[in-house]
Amino acid sequence: MTISEFRIPFRYTTNRSSSIRWVASHALHHWPIFLVALIGAAGNAALASVPALQYGIVFENLTSGAYLPSVFLRAGAVVGISQTIRGFMQFFRNFGFEVTAQRIERDVRDEFYISLLGKSMTFHSLQSIGDLMARATNDIREVNYIFSPGLNMVLGSINFLFIPLGIGASIHPALLLTPVLFITLYFAAIAHFLKILQPVTSEVRSTFGRLNSRLAEDIDGIETVKAASQEEAEINRFKQNSEAYRNANVKQGDIEARFLPLLLLALAMGFGLLHALILNRQGLIPLSSVITYFSGLSMLGFPTNTSIRSYSQISLGIASAKRLLSIMNSHNNLDQNENGHSAAISGKVKFENVSFAYDGINLNLHDLSFEVNPGQTVAIVGQTGSGKTSLVRLLNRTYDPLDGSVKIDGIDLREWKLDSLRAQISIIEQDIFLFSKSVAENIAFGKPQASHAEIESAAKKAQADGFIESLPEGYNTVIGERGATISGGQRQRLALARAFLTDPKILILDDSTSAIDSKTEDEIQQAIKLASEGRTTFIITHRLSQIRWADLIIVMRKGRISAIGTHEQLMQTSRSYRNIFAEAKE
Amino acid sequence: MGFHQGLTGELYDRQYSNKALLGRIWDYAKGHRKFIIWMVISITLQGLFAALPPLLISKILDEGIAGIPNETAYTILVVTIIILQLLDFVFYYVVRRLLTRITADMNRDLSVDAFAASIEQDLAFHDRLSSGRIVSRITTDTNDFSMLVRLTMDVAGSMVQSIVTAIILFNTEWRLALILMAFVPIVMLVVSSFRKLARRVTTQGMRAMANVNATIKETISGISVAKNFRQEEEIYRDFKESNTSSYKVNVQRGFVLSIVFPVMRTISGLSIAVLVYFGALTVTQGLITAGAWYMLLLASDRFLMPILSITSYWTQVQTGLSAAERILALIDSDRSVIQTDNIKVESLTGRIDFNQLSFHYATGSKILDHFDLHIQPGENIAIVGHTGAGKSSIARLISRFYEFQEGELLIDGVDIRKFDLPSLRRNMGIVTQVPFLFDETVEENIRFAAPDITRGEITELAHQIGNGEWLETFSNGLDTQVGERGAHISMGQRQLVALMRVLAHKPAIFILDEATASVDPFTEYQIQQALGLILQRSTSILIAHRLSTVRSADRIIVLDHGSIIEEGSHQGLLKQGGHYAELYNTYFRHQSLQYIEEAGQILGKGLSSSNPA
Repeated sequence: MTISEFRIPFRYTTNRSSSIRWVASHALHHWPIFLVALIGAAGNAALASVPALQYGIVFENLTSGAYLPSVFLRAGAVVGISQTIRGFMQFFRNFGFEVTAQRIERDVRDEFYISLLGKSMTFHSLQSIGDLMARATNDIREVNYIFSPGLNMVLGSINFLFIPLGIGASIHPALLLTPVLFITLYFAAIAHFLKILQPVTSEVRSTFGRLNSRLAEDIDGIETVKAASQEEAEINRFKQNSEAYRNANVKQGDIEARFLPLLLLALAMGFGLLHALILNRQGLIPLSSVITYFSGLSMLGFPTNTSIRSYSQISLGIASAKRLLSIMNSHNNLDQNENGHSAAISGKVKFENVSFAYDGINLNLHDLSFEVNPGQTVAIVGQTGSGKTSLVRLLNRTYDPLDGSVKIDGIDLREWKLDSLRAQISIIEQDIFLFSKSVAENIAFGKPQASHAEIESAAKKAQADGFIESLPEGYNTVIGERGATISGGQRQRLALARAFLTDPKILILDDSTSAIDSKTEDEIQQAIKLASEGRTTFIITHRLSQIRWADLIIVMRKGRISAIGTHEQLMQTSRSYRNIFAEAKE
Repeated sequence: MGFHQGLTGELYDRQYSNKALLGRIWDYAKGHRKFIIWMVISITLQGLFAALPPLLISKILDEGIAGIPNETAYTILVVTIIILQLLDFVFYYVVRRLLTRITADMNRDLSVDAFAASIEQDLAFHDRLSSGRIVSRITTDTNDFSMLVRLTMDVAGSMVQSIVTAIILFNTEWRLALILMAFVPIVMLVVSSFRKLARRVTTQGMRAMANVNATIKETISGISVAKNFRQEEEIYRDFKESNTSSYKVNVQRGFVLSIVFPVMRTISGLSIAVLVYFGALTVTQGLITAGAWYMLLLASDRFLMPILSITSYWTQVQTGLSAAERILALIDSDRSVIQTDNIKVESLTGRIDFNQLSFHYATGSKILDHFDLHIQPGENIAIVGHTGAGKSSIARLISRFYEFQEGELLIDGVDIRKFDLPSLRRNMGIVTQVPFLFDETVEENIRFAAPDITRGEITELAHQIGNGEWLETFSNGLDTQVGERGAHISMGQRQLVALMRVLAHKPAIFILDEATASVDPFTEYQIQQALGLILQRSTSILIAHRLSTVRSADRIIVLDHGSIIEEGSHQGLLKQGGHYAELYNTYFRHQSLQYIEEAGQILGKGLSSSNPA
């Protein structure tokens, strides 16, 4: 069993040991529909050979001078009926592969998402959302394409390679020569083609990536480009980037132009015909068999023409599956600790010689020791990168310390049951995330069963009820993607309301009251004051007024505590602390 | 995605007549005239050669039937077929290579022109359009267009093959050829009716995809919140719902698209069945030979398949042409900022005069109405006012990002319209509200406007601010990568880098549109130091949001609805107790030490009123 913070059983187990096995294990789960697709593919190919055989029969009749219209009619009917059935078979093949592909896309995404939910916060804070998004959408789409059109074309056309074998063998064993040679060389050529194509396609992607990201930056930063009058330089840079992209494209085109299976097809058709004719001259086979054989050989055209695209489609899909697996198989170091300590938190926090490193090597926090009593408000100040956020992230066990221990109510966090711990600790982050749901649902996110009265009272405490009432539909107003339609200060108050509702014993505000002007400042001050009542509160803040009145102030510098104490104490002991208050006075 | 653009147009979009459109496309193609001629020849020959083998095979068969023992003719025919097949491969090779070059070159030229056009556009243009849409025009639409070129050539080849085959068929036996022709309208009818259906389900599929993408984006972004509140199951339900609905729509789409080709197959299979029967009958009547009959069967595929592809290709022609139209509209879009002269600027003293200037954005009411403002060389002015008072507009007009409608704007006594813009802007340092950094190192970002400055000089400048301590907060000093738009560093650090950029550049005029976001107090202290250094040597226009910035100005201008309602020094204006005092209480008061001390009382009050019944 893998270590995970959160588990939802996926409907079936998959083999994650390699990308091909993984994709195959998904496909095997849908074997009935996959089988329909395979039967369709085989039936389609088998029926495709019917006309070739009928041509031979009619031709023989014509050359023998028998001229039996019933034979023609029968042949016509057989061709017509077989090709109609073939149409159905082809439909089974196409739709079968399509459904398989769609189901696999659905299930792979489901499995991927469940795996993301189980990952620790360490993982999520290091992964860019954009990158995960790209994997969850585009890469999973590419896995879909392995089946449709990828395998649909490959498995659908591969049967056609063997039709000439059957037809050849049934006419004369010597006629196996051309198809056997063709098949052998064909696979060798495809393997070679994919091998040389692979680095070029990744070059196409990377040059396009470079072109696109600089382009997007330039257009977003157009004011900066103009302000620095760097238009010309940027146009030149764009020219260079698009030249690189163009060259990569030409390289790929040139490789595709040299598609050897096409040459093999040309040779096979020619030599196959010649060979059959020679056998005919030697009286070994009738002329009608030459026709049947040649018609059979022309079936090789289908797999040859489709392979230009379909094989590279599959290899792209496998590469994408690899990218997905690398995320799913990445190591997780936090467990939910189902049998751990579970109790109501009173709010005593103790750091004992705590060191921490994101990567486990370069320390981000050095040897922190301090103690906070239940109900105290702690302000953490320091420059960006001084370790403020890392410090509070240790509190709800987002990360584990490298050395030393963090204790709440005297018990090491690693002993706590994760559920019990997190349910009583609430973090309001810098970048407040709101769901595209109603205001009420957003507030009740941490406590879905909350009554409307509870929600309103939480909003009141967070000083948010005023603006909520003024929204078009009050508490039922749906806020846009990432809450775009409400201002920064309002989001912060909604987040506060969210925290009030869950009534955490430890509240952490990570610079979550920044976007507020003097007018709302008083309201926010009160809201935070209310929020900190009866709980231990950690505030990372830029607001001097909040720092000024905290019970304990921790000044961080380069991952260490450079000063700690009350405002009065720090004004005495810390020069840099004095500096910031002196500057405000001026 | 191109699809989304199809739904809504842009203001600058225009309709080109087909002639004008093709003319413009030809402008881009004609540089490759030689390539194109070679390609057309190759394609014609390829189509011709591809159509010939059935003819030769029928000859061989007829000779075989007649039992003519002409070994040499026989060999020549077979060798000819082999040669034709080889030529087919060679021509495929030649056409692909030429085509690759033509499309890649046209793609490059179009996107470079589109990029140049959009970067040279004024900001009024960029305000109206989302950057994502412009980017998508420059990349996706040019790709769609080059796909059109590629398809056109493919189809042209198929058409030649189809026409040559048709001629051969008619020459062999026109009645049978007519039977085959009868299938053409049927095929076209079926394809076009499918096209409508296919387009509908494809649109639905794309919508469902957009939908699931949006949900995925939201649920992935929300994971950390969900974890904080242990609500993983809740967002998993949301995810699952949209994932399942997307699956359903896509299966429907797959159903429709899976039908198209089998139906085509069946139609062509039936046409061949008819040919087998009637063809054989005509042979018995002595109208054609048995060889010719076989040729008809071989040729029918070569005739029908190109028709199928041409019919289904038509949708893509429309996609490609409208993509071309969108790119050209971007390239041809009109500009509003127009310079009447190109006076090169060597150096400026920094005097700025607004005389009776009126300005409004493309859509919207007047921002500045007969506005007068005179800034002396070296003077530092701070502009304050409520949101929408026109503060940023003043800065943007001086930067010449927008065109004004009335009055005049003079820099060093010269009409701003008469300058060579790049050289004018080289004498200005502009820091925008959200400082924009490129995904490069700190050093490269500082050097952006002053490419010649050395690393030593940058280090020296950096040390004038808080002893260079701010550099230590970067993981890798000057070589730290700042990330896309500066995402890897904090807002305060971004502002510092943007100010360093101006310090390196030493402009005569400095324009600062200060960020509203707050910055940690230590960085704030350093920003003030950097600002102080710049103010010493430039004429400065500060759109201020920080108390300390306002205080550092020589003169404060209070703006309301596009006109100056008060001006003077900080202390003087506060004493007046007018608009500035009101603004101060709204925006700046909480930054003052006095307020910070008073906050204790508010907090005390907060304590006592904590039980609001």
